[in-house]
Amino acid sequence: MKLLRKKEKLYLSDKRPLSITGKILLVITYIILISWAIAILWPLFQMVLSAFNGKQEQYLMLNDQFTFSLKHFEYLFNNTLFLQWTKNTILIALATAVLTLLIVSLTGYAYSRYRFKGKKISLMAMMLIQAIPTFAGITAYFTMYSVISSINPGFTRQMMLVLIYTGGGIANNTFILKGYIDSISTELDDAAKIDGCSNLQVYRLIIMPIARPMLALIALWSFIGPFMDYLLPKVLLTSPETYTLAAGLFTLINDVRTLNQPAFAAGGLLTAIPVVILFIALQKELVSGLAEGSVKG
Amino acid sequence: MIKGGSELISNDIELKKFKFEEKKFLKTLKANKKKFKNSLDKTLPYKAKKLKVDLFLAQEKSQFYKDYVALSYDAEFEYEQSNLLMEELPDIIHNIIDRTLDIEKALIEKKNIDPSRERKFKKEFKEFKKEHKAFLKEEKRKLREKRRKGSISKKAQVNEINILKQKYKEKIILKSYESQRKTNKEFIKNTRHEIKENTKINLKILNSNMADIRRKIPIEVEKTKPKVAYFTFLFPGIGQMFNKQYKKGFIFLLASLFIYLIAIPYALGFGNYQGEGIRGLITLAEGGRRIDKSLIFMIEGIIAIFLVILSLFLLYFSFKDVLKVEKDTIKGVRPNNWFETKTYLSEEGFPYVANLPALIVIIFMVLVPVTTTILLSFTGMDPQHQSKFSWIGIKNYKMIFLGEGLAGSVFWLTLGWTLVWTLLATSLAIFIGFILALLVNNDRVKGKTIFRTIYLLPWAVPAFISIMFFSIMLSPNGAISQLVNNIWGLEMSVKTNTTQTRIALILLQGWLGSSYIFLLSTGVLQAIPSDLYEASEMDGATTWQKLRHITLPIVLFQTAPLLVGQYVFNFNNFSIIYLFNGGGPFEPSKYGNLAGSSDLLISYIYKLTIENQYQGIGAAITVFVSIAVMLVSFLGYRSSKAFKEERL
Repeated sequence: MKLLRKKEKLYLSDKRPLSITGKILLVITYIILISWAIAILWPLFQMVLSAFNGKQEQYLMLNDQFTFSLKHFEYLFNNTLFLQWTKNTILIALATAVLTLLIVSLTGYAYSRYRFKGKKISLMAMMLIQAIPTFAGITAYFTMYSVISSINPGFTRQMMLVLIYTGGGIANNTFILKGYIDSISTELDDAAKIDGCSNLQVYRLIIMPIARPMLALIALWSFIGPFMDYLLPKVLLTSPETYTLAAGLFTLINDVRTLNQPAFAAGGLLTAIPVVILFIALQKELVSGLAEGSVKG
Repeated sequence: MIKGGSELISNDIELKKFKFEEKKFLKTLKANKKKFKNSLDKTLPYKAKKLKVDLFLAQEKSQFYKDYVALSYDAEFEYEQSNLLMEELPDIIHNIIDRTLDIEKALIEKKNIDPSRERKFKKEFKEFKKEHKAFLKEEKRKLREKRRKGSISKKAQVNEINILKQKYKEKIILKSYESQRKTNKEFIKNTRHEIKENTKINLKILNSNMADIRRKIPIEVEKTKPKVAYFTFLFPGIGQMFNKQYKKGFIFLLASLFIYLIAIPYALGFGNYQGEGIRGLITLAEGGRRIDKSLIFMIEGIIAIFLVILSLFLLYFSFKDVLKVEKDTIKGVRPNNWFETKTYLSEEGFPYVANLPALIVIIFMVLVPVTTTILLSFTGMDPQHQSKFSWIGIKNYKMIFLGEGLAGSVFWLTLGWTLVWTLLATSLAIFIGFILALLVNNDRVKGKTIFRTIYLLPWAVPAFISIMFFSIMLSPNGAISQLVNNIWGLEMSVKTNTTQTRIALILLQGWLGSSYIFLLSTGVLQAIPSDLYEASEMDGATTWQKLRHITLPIVLFQTAPLLVGQYVFNFNNFSIIYLFNGGGPFEPSKYGNLAGSSDLLISYIYKLTIENQYQGIGAAITVFVSIAVMLVSFLGYRSSKAFKEERL
């Protein structure tokens, strides 16, 4: 024990010991870091607090009165279409992710591994196309939907939304995936081809397992997109039963008839928690994916 | 072009005779084929029967063409092909029949399996299973004991157990094969699979050998200039048929069907939902029925144009294909057969096929809508002209650029604020995020994981939730307003004061956007090799110099395209403006009735087109915004990794 204590007192770091200014700077660093942490946590904490505060009605008030209650959650589940919105959002998000993955797998692979006529031009075109905000076509989407749905009544507004999200993401995701597949050695493909693999088999058996992290990222981003987007659902979806979470929750703070701010806080909390957990669990992958790819608006 | 060459005339006669004989031969061959088919053993498997017929044909052909090999390349080709078939087919057929016999034998055996023995085995098997399970349990117990004593680690225990389980499973499977019934069943299954796969592979080899012969033996034709391609270019598929590529021709015929049954009628106005095909683009439903909508006419016109473009592409492709085959034939190269075409398609055609779904989605979900918007910007679609509107040229653009009328003056004001917002909000977020990344990455700071997790939150919480919540908290009775009031005694009126709204928005975006930059720069900072810093320290660099000359350039260089992306994102950041204060506060004297003073161009467009139905002007502004954004992101993209490392 004695030996150990002696060791502790030894200065073992290979960094120089801090001077006084260094110490002051370190303290300032901590002050800045902690105050920014507070600036982030305080509003979020307020949201959690107001979601559970039974003393509040309709409007959010900041006061010291607090009684724990779940009544806002009850309101959310019983008096609003929260569950329906969640279901809609998840369905739209899943469909978008699957469709994007299917399409982008093919394009990313083709653009990375094959030479074909018009490759460079179409890449350039794609690049420019993806810069156009999805918003630009909004007038047309509306009319297109009414035309398609009158021809095929089974085509819902949500399907339209899925197609729009997918179409908007193709260019960007193709770029990202192409970049990733480019970094995989072609020797693997060649070996597989010599063993008699077809093109799709090479993709499925060789490329896909290696590119899985990037594919997962693309799926994740396409999945999260519908959770974050407000504009398109607001424009395209007309009845509250078809709303996504973003559009639905906004009615709780914007529409006088359904105004209930604490319920919004509760709904926001329920929506945010899974997404936040996902982000924290996957932060490393998300960040590397960001740096790997190109512009992600 | 005729083989031999010296005795032209006598050859000519012989050739004619050959053609005549060939015709006769083929006729009798047809009849013989039928006869042979009927004489075949009915119990043979279908595939074997078919191959046997092929073999028979090959034998007959070989005999017939043998005499003419010296005369014509076609005869030589047929002869070689038949020989190849005669060489390889017997083995394939033999293989199929042999293995099928094996299966039949096994099937008979299956009937003769002694049920009492089977029952006996079942009992035995059960016993065997029980015994080994007990053994497994015992082994597991031993391992647990060892673990308790501490002689093996937890991981080793888990591994050992897994190995034992695997061994147990294998033993059970092995034992189960002692059952006759099971072995029999497996044998039949495996053999069937074997037949299928083997035949497939063998035929593939045969086909590629045949392709070799096709490549080796030239073809002779009398024409010297391609004609078919020019005569049939309007009808994809026919030309291929002329070239005797029937299956390929059939596929191209589908393209013909598409062109003449879908694209052209649609472009002419048949089968449209409301419009008149391409003509609808000009008339825009003028003088049409009351329910006819100009917008639908426009969209259908655009779709018609895209269909026509697609048709032209198909025509061109088909023409090129026929022309190439014809030219090759004249040169003496035999046209590809279906097997070769298939191989070629799966190699060279793959990228086109793979990009097809993406192309369709992009055409209908991006190109058609965007074209509609561009065309709309030249029309006078506004609240008074919703269902019928007409072309008005560049009036909308004129109005905007000259700052006249309803939207013009507001446009420039909004543009000014949009630029200020983009620059300030993005730069603030970048500044905060970068500084935080620097500070957290200081070696001496402890609790890095906690800080990083907290700083990730504004990005992870869906933005619309944070924005809406901040909007609530900054309203007159909101939490932040009251807090500021309590501490500094300031009356805040964020929602009604233009300057305050704008400052709040910029700060809020700083809060929201810094996370992303923080994560980004952290990633880059961690990847900077430390020897750079050590070397600079040796040379006596101060902290500031290290930051200025090492850290900043590296981080900026690596994240540049993404930072450009951030500016573009904020230029079009609709949600924060619309959800925070609906673009307000509103100052009708300055901004008119449509826009608020914190509206960006994008939310202004939203209000013009969706809320107030000035689609014409809105489209013009959209075109302006899109061009600006495209230019900027082009600059960002140009230096991005995916584009630079282009392998072309």
